[in-house]
Amino acid sequence: MTSLFESYQTSAGTYDELFEAPGVPRGGFQRVLRALGASTAEEFARCQALAEMAMLNQGVTFSVYADNRGTEKVFPFDLVPRIVAAPDWRHLERGLAQRVQALGLFLDDVYGPQRILREGVIPRELVLGAQQYLPIIQDVKPAGGVRVHIAGIDLIRDPAGTFRVLEDNVRTPSGVSYVVENRLATKRIFPRLFEQASVHRVDHYPSQLGETLRSVSPRDPDESTVVVLTPGSYNSAYFEHSFLARQMGIELVESADLFVDDDRVYMRTTRGPKQVDVIYRRTDEAFLDPEVFRPDSMLGVPGLMRAWARGTVTLANAPGNGVADDKAVYPFVPDMIRYYLDEEPLLEQVPTYVCLRDADRDYVLDHLSELVVKAVDESGGYGMLMGPQASAAQIDEFRARIIADPRKYIAQPRIELSTCPTWDAERRCMEPRRVDLRPYILTSRDGPWVLPGGLTRVALVPGSYVVNSSQGGGSKDTWVQKEVA
Amino acid sequence: MISRVADCCFWFGRYIERTEATARLMSVTRTLAMDAEMEPRQCWLPVIIVNGQEPAYLRRTAEHSMHDSTGDQVEEYMTWADDNLSSIQASVSAARENARQIREVISLEVWETINELYLWLESDAAQQEFRAARYSFYRRIRQGCQLVTGLLRSTMLHELPLNFIWLGMLLERGSQTARVLDVHHHALVLRERTHQVIETALWMSLLRACSAYEPFTKRNRGRVTGDAVADFLIFEPLFPKSITYCVCEALARFAVIRPPHEDGLPGGESQARLDALDAWLTGHAAIPEGGDIHQLLTHVVDEIAAICNGLSRELFGQVPVPASESAQ
Repeated sequence: MTSLFESYQTSAGTYDELFEAPGVPRGGFQRVLRALGASTAEEFARCQALAEMAMLNQGVTFSVYADNRGTEKVFPFDLVPRIVAAPDWRHLERGLAQRVQALGLFLDDVYGPQRILREGVIPRELVLGAQQYLPIIQDVKPAGGVRVHIAGIDLIRDPAGTFRVLEDNVRTPSGVSYVVENRLATKRIFPRLFEQASVHRVDHYPSQLGETLRSVSPRDPDESTVVVLTPGSYNSAYFEHSFLARQMGIELVESADLFVDDDRVYMRTTRGPKQVDVIYRRTDEAFLDPEVFRPDSMLGVPGLMRAWARGTVTLANAPGNGVADDKAVYPFVPDMIRYYLDEEPLLEQVPTYVCLRDADRDYVLDHLSELVVKAVDESGGYGMLMGPQASAAQIDEFRARIIADPRKYIAQPRIELSTCPTWDAERRCMEPRRVDLRPYILTSRDGPWVLPGGLTRVALVPGSYVVNSSQGGGSKDTWVQKEVA
Repeated sequence: MISRVADCCFWFGRYIERTEATARLMSVTRTLAMDAEMEPRQCWLPVIIVNGQEPAYLRRTAEHSMHDSTGDQVEEYMTWADDNLSSIQASVSAARENARQIREVISLEVWETINELYLWLESDAAQQEFRAARYSFYRRIRQGCQLVTGLLRSTMLHELPLNFIWLGMLLERGSQTARVLDVHHHALVLRERTHQVIETALWMSLLRACSAYEPFTKRNRGRVTGDAVADFLIFEPLFPKSITYCVCEALARFAVIRPPHEDGLPGGESQARLDALDAWLTGHAAIPEGGDIHQLLTHVVDEIAAICNGLSRELFGQVPVPASESAQ
């Protein structure tokens, strides 16, 4: 049988998501891959072009900062799905819920009694010295009782096929709109293939999010006004902000639309002020409230933090969460899970050297050419040293930076990310490209819920490990298979 | 409804209406220039004047020592010119930019239609069509706008946002009709003895520019005279591009936005002003014998501009409302 996957080569020492070995699909994926491989290269190329055109016309785009004309680009989408087998997902689902629960308890503790610091489970100076630690909200209990309403946990898969947490995002994780839009595109282009595949749906995410946000309102959920707060239409993730507001049927506001009076938040409407109860904010913390963060800034809503501290409004996610997804705090998450939940962590993570610790730092400085070094307060693939690929000059530069400010750096061994077959438009064939996975976890008053799916990001550049959209990454639809009844 | 969002809705409606009106005016003027055996300048300069671009346009043509009056030149300027904020390209970009800011408000179909029109206008295909098939180029733009208008009606909730879009469209349209009529009227009155054939051709082209030719003939079976055309375009209550219709409908949209008998809602001044304009038009109801049409039209244009300014002050949040006074 001729197949698009006939000449697909997996690479040695790397886990491939769909193929055990060249020509041998993983158990449970045979039928889908046979059907997907049955089209010709011309047909596949045409489908791929159709999908891209549809996304451009619908304005499923992100804005590029570097370009002052506010150019919008389509987030490249690859039509070959990444499939997750049911047993793998069952494990991930439990592990993610466990992790997010522990991170929430950690934040309550840090901004409350600080037991975990007093008992020395996590070094005090590491936590209180984090740039994202917000002393002014010490002892504030947020209305609704939840701090991490929306989490995105980045996972990678090592050569043995084990999922590992690479990074936690508990401030303003983005990308979920592509999960929903990618699915829509796949269903339109491969309707029959999709029907056969028995995959969990993802299009109910916005309604789950709406429920979650209403559940933590300071007022009766049915009477509550929930809004999405965006920095504006030039923000790179503006499409997603408007998408979520539209799908939830709620208002999308900018900070100038809001004002605070008597410690309550109102929006300016054509019929006068209207009180707002829950704000799903997609603005950076630094631009929430100029009274607190940047007195010189025109951005933000003066008095918002006072209103939040009074409990008249819920902010999702809560301010101050950055102390939990700090890259230097990450190595201690398994300890948090043991400490707060009295359980063993279900998810593995990546061994991490914290440069603040003398022994770790010495090791890192001796092994820079083998390690991946990351600045703790940068994201998007910036501020990183990929030791094995770096030049001597780059290594020396990072050595100097680490010595100057050890708190700011961590280091990890480079993990061979798993690959997934991906359409190469130039060579017109399937090629292995590295992927990661960001599942989304919502926490309402009743506890966590994991979306059965997630954003699979793919490094479209051959050999690249960097999957970020700002650096040549694309995305794939993620199919979580249903349990066989 | 959020004031900023209402502002975007209002301007989205205005820009769609403006785009369609400009595209129609271009096609009609070209046909006129071919039929009426008139000086090109006499045909084309009014297009520039109607859009309030005369000084900028003349400055530009002088600087580049170009003809100020060939059709190509004017069409180029009114379609593509970067420095002309009322060009078709600028209007479509502005409509699309407003739509992009209210995507959670307008329907997906409306968004896709304006986005596709915008992307097409930015493409080489549009440039080629402009060079090769001018009529179908403008037709495509008109149809894009008409599709938007139809989709607004058929795919959106008929509630506040749509009423703001209609309000913007109606005020823009009323003002366009007044200006295009004024310019033509002015040009004709100034010419001492226009040949009757040319005069008729001019009035007919004006009717066509307002999509009014067939409706006009249903109301007036006699000769196409200036007074009859002006009367129709100002006062015909059942023709959707007449000034009276636009003002009266705008008032009805406004009454949904701001129920006049509910106390304490913002927007009262603009509403009163629109109400007065409507009453003033009803009071006239026909062109006064030997009356000054120019004065009447100027009053309409000025009042609509003042109402739009009032709207942005009162309803679109240009001045913050002190919460303690009216917080619920």
